[in-house]
Amino acid sequence: MPTDSLIEARQLVKNYDDFRAVDGVDFHVRPGECFGFLGPNGAGKSTLMKMIYCFSPRGGGELSIFGLDPDKKASEIKNRLGVVAQTDNLDEDITVTQNLQIYSGYFGFSRKQIQPKIDELLAFMSLESKAHAGIRQLSGGMKRRLVIARALLNDPDLLILDEPTTGLDPQVRHLIWAKLRELKTQGVTILLTTHYMEEAQELCDRLLVLDKGKVLSLGRPEELVKNNLHPYVLELPVAKKSEIQIPPSIQLETHGDKLFLFSDTPSELEKIALPFQGQFRIRTTGLEDLFLKLTGRDLHESE
Amino acid sequence: MSPNKIRQLPTFARMVSAIWYRHYRVYQNNFWTNSFPTVLEPLIFILAVGWGLASAVGTMDGMDYLTFIAPAQAMMAAVYTSAFEESYGTYFRMMVDHNYDAMISTPVGVNEVFWGELLYTGTKGWFFSLVVIVVLSFFGVIHSAWAVLVPFVGFFTAVAFGSLGLFAARLVKNINQFNFFITGVISPLILFSGTLFPVDKLPPVVSIVAKMLPLYYFIDVSRMLTTGRFTSDLYIAVPYLLVVPFILGAFAVNSMNKKLIQ
Repeated sequence: MPTDSLIEARQLVKNYDDFRAVDGVDFHVRPGECFGFLGPNGAGKSTLMKMIYCFSPRGGGELSIFGLDPDKKASEIKNRLGVVAQTDNLDEDITVTQNLQIYSGYFGFSRKQIQPKIDELLAFMSLESKAHAGIRQLSGGMKRRLVIARALLNDPDLLILDEPTTGLDPQVRHLIWAKLRELKTQGVTILLTTHYMEEAQELCDRLLVLDKGKVLSLGRPEELVKNNLHPYVLELPVAKKSEIQIPPSIQLETHGDKLFLFSDTPSELEKIALPFQGQFRIRTTGLEDLFLKLTGRDLHESE
Repeated sequence: MSPNKIRQLPTFARMVSAIWYRHYRVYQNNFWTNSFPTVLEPLIFILAVGWGLASAVGTMDGMDYLTFIAPAQAMMAAVYTSAFEESYGTYFRMMVDHNYDAMISTPVGVNEVFWGELLYTGTKGWFFSLVVIVVLSFFGVIHSAWAVLVPFVGFFTAVAFGSLGLFAARLVKNINQFNFFITGVISPLILFSGTLFPVDKLPPVVSIVAKMLPLYYFIDVSRMLTTGRFTSDLYIAVPYLLVVPFILGAFAVNSMNKKLIQ
């Protein structure tokens, strides 16, 4: 497959018994971009990830990473990847530095050879003071940063992060985003999964919106929103539905206990909202709205 | 980070030794807690069963009873350390700590992971049977300089029983099911393999079965080495202990491949 893409997937399929986790997915990842898989729990994001980092052989279709077939060249591919899995799979009984030394050994580095790189990465992730700490002494955010540092030991051509900030508090999340953006400016290609809209918006150049193993939409975040939605939305309690008149220019959707009215102008929405002081919100539309529209259900709802 | 030139893949041996080193490092940090029971167990056994029973039993198979059970103690140390390490230990690394996911997201594959682990468990078998032989030598139950080779038998024993542990780790649905493995597999293997009495004392059919059990020849050879009394069994036992652990290992590694790559 002659290509300038790092990842090339065509009609990718994965079955587990009679459940189809990935169902005919097409995409490619270009060098230097940050590409995101966005979808609710059970959308097939992690399965796609596992196929890319060679944990899971594909059930059908074509997949090439660095132009190589993961079924045949798993070691060669993984030699050039940095993988940050969903769980912090560190060795709990040894120190931060020992964790990095041992992991670099899997890539064939000697401890002496890798030490400057370890120092550099600990500094980059602001973990220098923890170099000789045990893993159990680290906070959740520090562990995550260490796992990311570990994934950078081999100067990967592609950094893969599976839900990098799930379960972390907002400060830590912003710190990790800052580090990932810094890596991007250094030219590292990033592939991540997330179910946080904010994360997708902050980091991703392009997004693949997935649900039930299928691609719903693919493109730049702002384009996806622009192409699918009006720019303004009014949120009202669903009980008010009978009290309002909806002009034909307005698009109406109901999700949970809320009514969403989409329009091209805020003034049109203000007119409708007037009688409901303190009970409404008018804002610009974003990925969250797009997601609700595409999947017809809340992001964090699992099946 | 500029686009780097493509680094060469590490060799199989390099990756296996990196895995070996990981286990060594992790184990080393809890060395005394981990090794205490393995050393104490045969010591208690030899004191209690040996002193208590030895006078009642008198001689066994033409030797005093302590001499008879001493080599079996070294093998039991190898069996216990490997069977537990590769069953409970593997289960925790797989299901709780997710260590294998970390290892195989590098150039290391499942084969390297588990051969490295089996070699490491073999090393532990070597070390603990060495410790047991050294300790027992103070009791005057080691009668031949050939006993220095017993730790190497311990190595192969541990690879074999580590492989059985891996099968168990692959098969169990939850941690409680390891009881079947320890009580149902490991304990009978130990009791019926010539540890406490010669298998010839068993009914003929049972005795034939006992000689086919994986542990029998390991104990048989160890006993030849600690007593210096070699029998023609040696011609079966040596090829057996060099080959069988690695056949079991190959099946175990293959089975872990099916478990981890889905």
